[in-house]
Amino acid sequence: MIASKPSWLAPLITVAIAFAYLGYAASPKADPADGFHFQEFASLPVVDGGRVKPMDTFARVSLMVINDGVQSYQDEKKVSQPAVKWLLEVMTSRFVENPVAENLKVFRIENDQLLGFLGLSQRPGLRYSINEIASKFKVLEERAIAAERKDPDKLDALDKSVIQLAKHLQIHIDIATHRAPLLIPANGDWKPFMQAAMESRAEERPDPAVNSFGKILMAFGDGKPKEFNAALADYQSQIEGKIPPQQRISGLEVSFNHFSPLSQCIYLYVVVFLLTCVGWVSWRESLNSAAFWLAVATFMLHTCALSVRMYMQGRPPVTNLYSSAVFIGWGCVLGALVLEYLYANGIGNLKAAITGALTLLIANHLAGEGDTLEMMQAVLDTNFWLATHVTCITLGYTATFLAGFLGIFYILRGTFTPFQTPEAGKSLIRMTYGVLCFAIFFSFVGTVLGGIWADQSWGRFWGWDPKENGAMLIVIWNALILHARWGGLARDRGIALLAVVGNMVTGWSWFGTNQLGVGLHAYGFNDTLANGLTWFWASQLGVLALGLIPTRNWWSNQVQTAEAGKQIKPGMRKA
Amino acid sequence: MSLDQNTPEAPREQSFKKGFLLAVKAIASLRLTVSLFVLSFFLVFVGTLAQVENPTWTVVTDYFRSLVVWVPNQLLARFCQTFRWISPTAQWPGGFFFPGGWTLGSLLLINLLAAHLMKFQLSWRRSGILLIHAGLILLMVSELVTGLFAVEGNMTIEQGGAANYLELRETSGFLGKINGPELAFSDPSNPDKENVTVIPNRILRQGGKISHPALPCDVEVISYMANSTLKEIDPESPEAKSNPASKGDGLQFKGVDKKEMSGTAKDQKVDIPSAYIQLKDKATGQSLGTYLVSLWLSLSTVKQTQEVTLADGKKLDLALRFKRAYKPYTVELLEFKHEVYLGTTKPRNFSSRVKLLAEQPDDSRETLISMNNPLRHAGETFYQSGFLPGDKGTILQVVRNPGWLIPYFSCFLAALGMLIHFGQHLNSFLAKRRG
Repeated sequence: MIASKPSWLAPLITVAIAFAYLGYAASPKADPADGFHFQEFASLPVVDGGRVKPMDTFARVSLMVINDGVQSYQDEKKVSQPAVKWLLEVMTSRFVENPVAENLKVFRIENDQLLGFLGLSQRPGLRYSINEIASKFKVLEERAIAAERKDPDKLDALDKSVIQLAKHLQIHIDIATHRAPLLIPANGDWKPFMQAAMESRAEERPDPAVNSFGKILMAFGDGKPKEFNAALADYQSQIEGKIPPQQRISGLEVSFNHFSPLSQCIYLYVVVFLLTCVGWVSWRESLNSAAFWLAVATFMLHTCALSVRMYMQGRPPVTNLYSSAVFIGWGCVLGALVLEYLYANGIGNLKAAITGALTLLIANHLAGEGDTLEMMQAVLDTNFWLATHVTCITLGYTATFLAGFLGIFYILRGTFTPFQTPEAGKSLIRMTYGVLCFAIFFSFVGTVLGGIWADQSWGRFWGWDPKENGAMLIVIWNALILHARWGGLARDRGIALLAVVGNMVTGWSWFGTNQLGVGLHAYGFNDTLANGLTWFWASQLGVLALGLIPTRNWWSNQVQTAEAGKQIKPGMRKA
Repeated sequence: MSLDQNTPEAPREQSFKKGFLLAVKAIASLRLTVSLFVLSFFLVFVGTLAQVENPTWTVVTDYFRSLVVWVPNQLLARFCQTFRWISPTAQWPGGFFFPGGWTLGSLLLINLLAAHLMKFQLSWRRSGILLIHAGLILLMVSELVTGLFAVEGNMTIEQGGAANYLELRETSGFLGKINGPELAFSDPSNPDKENVTVIPNRILRQGGKISHPALPCDVEVISYMANSTLKEIDPESPEAKSNPASKGDGLQFKGVDKKEMSGTAKDQKVDIPSAYIQLKDKATGQSLGTYLVSLWLSLSTVKQTQEVTLADGKKLDLALRFKRAYKPYTVELLEFKHEVYLGTTKPRNFSSRVKLLAEQPDDSRETLISMNNPLRHAGETFYQSGFLPGDKGTILQVVRNPGWLIPYFSCFLAALGMLIHFGQHLNSFLAKRRG
């Protein structure tokens, strides 16, 4: 184990501070007694994207989509405000002519051509308000319609930005005119406020819930917290009996949104990284041990977050690209911590920190596209296959990445530092080999299970679909590395190089095949992903190039040779 | 080997033996395995890229179920374009030959078998490897069996209706594209039993005059369009005057030639052929009219056939339709359900409650076919695959694949093998740490 006797203090203090911080971050924000009860409002149930969710999630996701991944906004006084307040501003913008929403700078427009077209100038943050765009609404709409009609392959950057902005504006308009979300419950069915209000007016006995919701909005528009809170309480009691038990939601999702455990994990993994790096310079024992236990604590939080998501969705861990990133991160950290436990050399800590933080950052980025707890396509609506095939495949990706990162580490430590002794290098490659065995096991079993699923759902064991081929490429590549080792064709450095190529292959399978826009597994083209992948590949090629430098020129080897030269004196050293 | 032959002392036989051993060693070598892995890797990669331009089944036939394949350089350009590394209009002419899936698969198999022959031994240490490789061989066998013998068809049943035949759409078999739509004359006079005479697609494609004793009349193919669209004809336009069709649906629609399908498989596009054909009386050679036949027409939900009157006044139904395979059983659709997620149009589940009327009354049963829950009967498996517009009926995919169980065994074997093999590694690693 890592901790020698006096060094239990450092990990204890580190973990204690981390827990204190997490406790502070998780503590629910109470509504002020005499202010607007925003938290209460955020917990109201609405239906959007096929599921009942809290108003809070709807607000965050809508704002995040138009605001490029940010779940809060700045009001006129540049004070950061929660998404649910933005939602209320938009909901009241037409209903009671509340002018605030249309002046909020929340629409992110990156394309400079589009900005020019709208007569706007670039400003820090690139965020603009409805009022700034309003005069060009008509032309924008025409351009968007024209772009939508074009062949998707022939869209240029401007077309894409126009379509995107039009979609974002539509989100705002749907909320402002109360066509979304569905929020008035009626015997298992849900209606948007506008429709419910019109139907209610036509009937003899109007729905009191409609009335109360209207009052909530009016009270917000008039800035009267007392009335707002009273109407809110009325509304809650009126919808209470109208929601069937299976459509009830608890406060769990709101607390989860508020705490945002996966973002907290990113911060903590960064701290693990810093501790490990400093540990390399001084206080090695204590800092390494502190880093390890902090990584373990963070991993526990990561696990909890994953479990809560699974519980809320009632699904196995991986259901879409977002959750695959969260799960791959989880698997990488677990693998790295096991390695650290076995070898106790700080490499596992570093790996856990880097892979954990990176994958969660990727996940964070993917979350910007919408609700991460989205509903599954009909054919994917099966927990059994999601639990077996998808989980196995994802673990296969995970292990391949982990092996790849060990390969990178081998190359970088050998070339850029003097610390890689032959023994340390060998031990690193042994780790890589072990991880590769896991990788080929999970990717092979996962791929075949996918085939069996396909046989169950459309009678084709293997369809040569791009994503299936991608998985097969990983299997072939891992098999190649293992056979090359068994045949003596690749030794330590060779394994490291091949494992780095494995990273590139996995990158292709995970994201690249989607870029082709072909097949049953295609989730759609995305420029950012394409660029991300390009940079990822370039970085891996860079590492490969370094690795191809003859080993005698590696810093570590030069140091070893020099030391060996110094030490070889008769009788001093045993062979 | 040639050196040995020049050496006078070396007996011929011995040098032959030596050479043979060397050759077997080379065939069984891990170096060859790794090289074949590299080639397979590349083949799968270009086979994936090829799907951007071509339908999946063409790629499967050309790349994976072939001996050798011509890979155009443009594919690699396409890859670079996907990531915006080169201009989207760049053209890379030329290409190169590459070993196809059958070739690489067989070579891998030979390599694997040779390796096991060379150092075959039944021991606990090697049992894992043996199991893994047995699983892999089974997997290759299964892909071969599928490629050779699997047949896929569709069964379309309207709500409350029944069907006893499959429509065979284009699939890629070992023999290439076999199941294009065929021209069918059916006699509607007996409603209980369909009496049909068909002209296979391959003969239609050749064009020219088709005469056969079984046919009710001679058929002259004026033009055949492998892929087409239909356009409505304005009777006032000059187009109407130059219309080749003189009778039937051709008076209303015009067939327009279209490039053969090479789209992505996103919405499972199929070539929809059309043809102009002239029917002629067998005895006199007199024209019975020129018709437009099209798969579009037989896919329509209103009226799938057009009526043809022969010289003797007999009336037949004419259609260009998917090849049908009649079955001894009938499937009745009791209810088709299309469920959506709350407040959206996103499908949650499709299911068909059907009644199977089997040839053996004991096998007849009522059952629910839904996504991921197929019905298996008489070596055939029925999957929920689609539905008619307006939920008016269901489309079942029906597959006969004699090798469908093999992957289950192979997965089990290989997984077990890996557990044993890697388990041994892990064990000795942990033992070393302890010791």
